[in-house]
Amino acid sequence: MIRFTIILFSFALPFSSVDDAVGQSAETMQATSKAIRIAAAKIEPFLVTIESYGGVGTKQGKIGGIRKQGEGNTTGILVGAEGYVITSTFNFVSRPLIITVVTSDGVRRVARPMGRDDSRKICLLKIDDVDDLPDVGACDIAKLDKMKVGQWALSMGVGYGDKSPAVSLGIISAKNRIGGRAVQTDANISPANYGGPLIDIRGNLIGICVPLNPQSSAVGAGVEWYDSGIGFAIPMDGAEALIERLKDPEVRIAPAFLGVKPTPNTDGRGMFVESVVSGSAAASAGLTAGDIILELDGKPVDDMLTLRQILNRFESGAEAEIKFLKTASGSAEARENGESNTVTATVKFLPPPQPKDGTDLLAPPKIR
Amino acid sequence: MRNKLITLRVFFFGIFVLGGSCLAQQDGNCFAQTSVLPPLIDRCQPRMAKVIGAGVGRVDGYASGVIVSADGLILTSQGVFLDGRQVRVELSDGKSYSATILRRNRTLQLALLKIEVDRALDYFQLSGKPVGEKGDWVVALSNAFKVANESEPMSAMIGIIALRSTIEARLNDRDVAYKGPLVLIDAITSNPGAGGGAVINADGQLVGMIGKLINSSETNTRINYAVPSSTLKQFVEDQIAETASTSNDQEGAEALGKAYLGIVLFSLGSRNDPAYVDRVRRASPAAKLRLRPDDLIVALDGVQIGTVQEYQKVVDRLKPGVEVPIVFKRGSKLQRMEITPGEKK
Repeated sequence: MIRFTIILFSFALPFSSVDDAVGQSAETMQATSKAIRIAAAKIEPFLVTIESYGGVGTKQGKIGGIRKQGEGNTTGILVGAEGYVITSTFNFVSRPLIITVVTSDGVRRVARPMGRDDSRKICLLKIDDVDDLPDVGACDIAKLDKMKVGQWALSMGVGYGDKSPAVSLGIISAKNRIGGRAVQTDANISPANYGGPLIDIRGNLIGICVPLNPQSSAVGAGVEWYDSGIGFAIPMDGAEALIERLKDPEVRIAPAFLGVKPTPNTDGRGMFVESVVSGSAAASAGLTAGDIILELDGKPVDDMLTLRQILNRFESGAEAEIKFLKTASGSAEARENGESNTVTATVKFLPPPQPKDGTDLLAPPKIR
Repeated sequence: MRNKLITLRVFFFGIFVLGGSCLAQQDGNCFAQTSVLPPLIDRCQPRMAKVIGAGVGRVDGYASGVIVSADGLILTSQGVFLDGRQVRVELSDGKSYSATILRRNRTLQLALLKIEVDRALDYFQLSGKPVGEKGDWVVALSNAFKVANESEPMSAMIGIIALRSTIEARLNDRDVAYKGPLVLIDAITSNPGAGGGAVINADGQLVGMIGKLINSSETNTRINYAVPSSTLKQFVEDQIAETASTSNDQEGAEALGKAYLGIVLFSLGSRNDPAYVDRVRRASPAAKLRLRPDDLIVALDGVQIGTVQEYQKVVDRLKPGVEVPIVFKRGSKLQRMEITPGEKK
């Protein structure tokens, strides 16, 4: 029995003491910090500092009473050896005349904008003078299907003006956001790291940090959520085809624009159409004011959010099936009297109309 | 037989205990912060102070503070709230003290207060060396938004060190009052009343003090930062003169505006035009480098040039005869050269 007790003690003591648990915990925290530094160092050779010169309302300029966004240096990521850089369109809100890129070797080169995807707010730049571009190889991409909500995520960017990027720690908050285009994180994402990478704890690239807001496709939308714990990144896993498309400077991928002003239908299901933008996708599909949209892409549309979520899965040029209720006079009375019929049509999405003076799309959201 | 049975029982018991201890170990690993940080935070709360001054208009009349000596030296962030008739300090036990302002520094945006106490206070040791590096866990303690009153403890936030850096001279002077090294953190500390709060690492050491609330003109966002412990130490020991930067300014003042490059920039009258070369004066330093109209000045003396105004600012502080690097864009290529400014006649 004595032997038994001794053995029991020798097993139990080293592990059950509180001090020991604290010691182990402290070690775990230190290990996490170390992992953060190693992960950051792994992606750093791929990061570039983007500088832009000139453009609309630069430096002291103000639009709508508040200082313009994204006028400092911004971050991009080298893709391949041909000098392509992937970054966020947000960084070029001011439409700069000249863009230069500083690579990890400290050399500054001129770059020009290539294709852009306004539905994801990412774009490519191309450095032309690539003879002595540092050969960094290809960065490891984190696999989307292995990614789990709750795992560590690190956002990085050079926007604070230092050569070394700042790093913020968070977790993956959700996958498949904004019509499956983005992953969500609670790591700090702000103009200081739009265009910069979101990486996992092993230094693999998850995606490109961008401002997004599921309710709006304006270029600045999402900035109002900066550093709020609601941040988005466009995953790079499976984005090879998209990147290939963006290598064409003429490519402009636009969000899907339906062209209706809907309100929830108070006396039944669907969305009541208040007005239709002339020449829009909705108008081409035969929708008119007074109709009731029942389904889009086979899914019932009962509120604004659902409609927005379905639209977010498409880009302009894509087609979807729309089901709506057409009434002769457009009045509820007429519908009750059975003067309505269900119409199924194919809607081909168009890009959102460009505002004439450019201010609407370019206007930065108000932040405080 | 009986012996064998005991051995067997001990064996199973051993497995059982081991299994249990593995759980404990896992517990320790999974809940790392929960077992490490609470005792640290508890230990640091008595070293915190609430500073109450005068609110002026929309400027808040309160801040946080850290105790840095047993006899009542308290560091806080500099601000107009200290200009009122009286500055009061509340310690963690809820007692209120009248404070005198020993020193204020507008460059570092720091203020040193003193309260008269009849007991030895618990205080933060200021390290002369940098505490913490990028990626280290930190806890920020502050009275952001004046959530805590009297003896109520400070609010704690967790984050990591995002970057140790200096705010660049490039940033607009109006926007950033603070000049010096800083520790950027990814906890959202930049809030009213949080200035003067403590940022501690997982060993309970003071990494720095939460700085005054500032917006970055670079990004139009708030910067979450701490003034490093080493800078605080220098300030407390009075090793930093308020006018430390003026001596350089005076030296520069002699040469101010005397440098001559011979470049006339293209300007549409806006101060924000990019720095395109319009003309190059004959036999000037720029002419020697064969600068041409339509070249775009991208950097001068290591400073990025975005606008005509920024170019002028750099030229104004160049010294005649002292060679500086110049980077300009011609076609799609960048050219790097050295230019020696002449003297204005």
